[in-house]
Amino acid sequence: MKVEIDSFSGFRIYPSKGKLFVRGDSKVFRFASSKNASLFLQRKNPRKIAWTQVYRRMHKKGITEEVAKKRSRRTVKHQRGIVGADLSAIAAKRNQTAAQRSQLRLSAIQKAKTEKKEKEVKKAKPARSTGAAGPKVSKQQMKGGKGR
Amino acid sequence: MIGLKGTLNIIDNSGALVAECVNVLKQKVNNGWGSVGDEIVVVVQRARPVSAAASASVTAVKVRRGDVRRAVIVRTRKPVRRPDGRLIRFDDNAAVLLNNKREMLGTRIGGVVSADLRMKGWGKIASLAPKVI
Repeated sequence: MKVEIDSFSGFRIYPSKGKLFVRGDSKVFRFASSKNASLFLQRKNPRKIAWTQVYRRMHKKGITEEVAKKRSRRTVKHQRGIVGADLSAIAAKRNQTAAQRSQLRLSAIQKAKTEKKEKEVKKAKPARSTGAAGPKVSKQQMKGGKGR
Repeated sequence: MIGLKGTLNIIDNSGALVAECVNVLKQKVNNGWGSVGDEIVVVVQRARPVSAAASASVTAVKVRRGDVRRAVIVRTRKPVRRPDGRLIRFDDNAAVLLNNKREMLGTRIGGVVSADLRMKGWGKIASLAPKVI
């Protein structure tokens, strides 16, 4: 059997004890004793009545088990290498000065440009040779189709 | 604890809103008082107005003021003791109308009903209710 909690005073209600009250809006209230039920029906505020659990918790009475503050886990930044860049490489990149970085970037751009030029030069020659050669045969014909 | 002249809210969709008890059907011992799950005879005191448009639909008003019907009590203000020892009490007295075959007149129930109904052989009403306490 389940031990219920009094909805006014916070007392425990053991099996076979207590009263259930169902209000018009179908909310259920449980009372351990007629005292609690009576005070509830008089619309007394349990926060203002000294012997209720709510009051005692509010005013830090007795040895109440402290609701331990939930320590939220803080994410700690940890550095480690990832694919293709180990820790030392990352650290080196991070410690560059702005001047160094711009210089590196410039050189990289230059390099890329020269490479591109070379490629174009290479490309220009073979492109012409392949363009003229080869009979004009459609794929359909090659397969033995009608070749419209 | 419903007796002669006791008024109850009707919580089904038969069209009645408030009914007055005129007789509690006898059981072995009820001494003239009805509780949850007991059958009573009621007079409809207040009903939803009959409108022409709604008369064809399912939600048609089936009773009017002054009708005498059987009903079963589903909630009482008087605390009722459960087999496990606790007492349960509601905020109002309520009933559901029946036809003369002891079947529900309405098709729906709007509101909490007591779980004692199932114990007393009104399982169908308990299963129709949105909440059983």
